[in-house]
Amino acid sequence: MAAGLRAVRRWGLVAAAPPRLGFTRSAFVVKKENNAQPNWLGVGLAFGTSAALWGFLIKQHDEDVVEYERRKRARGRKCTGCS
Amino acid sequence: MAFLPDESRSLPPPPLFNKGSVWLGFVGWLAALADNAFNQRPVIRAGVHRQILFASVGFFVGYQLVKRAEYIHAKVDREMFEYIRHHPVDFHSPAG
Repeated sequence: MAAGLRAVRRWGLVAAAPPRLGFTRSAFVVKKENNAQPNWLGVGLAFGTSAALWGFLIKQHDEDVVEYERRKRARGRKCTGCS
Repeated sequence: MAFLPDESRSLPPPPLFNKGSVWLGFVGWLAALADNAFNQRPVIRAGVHRQILFASVGFFVGYQLVKRAEYIHAKVDREMFEYIRHHPVDFHSPAG
């Protein structure tokens, strides 16, 4: 019976494990990937997101610098003994 | 507590390129290279958009984490100095 079950699994009649990483792809389960043609939507989204992240980061950093300088000036006038 | 409370803005902001941001950016880039390797693509020449995105996300996350770490350290230092100020007897220099 075990031999029969083993044969069934080999023929893929029992549900196979889903493909995980790239090198376990089964043609029955995954669509054919074509790395030769760029996925322009993905490329656009990736570059757009990167640009947005950098823009936000640089803007936030500059705002933080300005805010810190402003608070330092405000605090400087108030007390001179602060650490 | 919020990730970065308002009083953290009273601290000098860390430089954009600091240990955490550069390292996590590098780690993100390595993750993109690993993704290339696992999917049997040329490791450095493929998916440059993916490499840039992963590196940028890593850089961003690293920067935010460093900001929060500096805030936590400053907060703890402030509490420590306050305690020292309130308990001077315990912190006299050794006699003689």
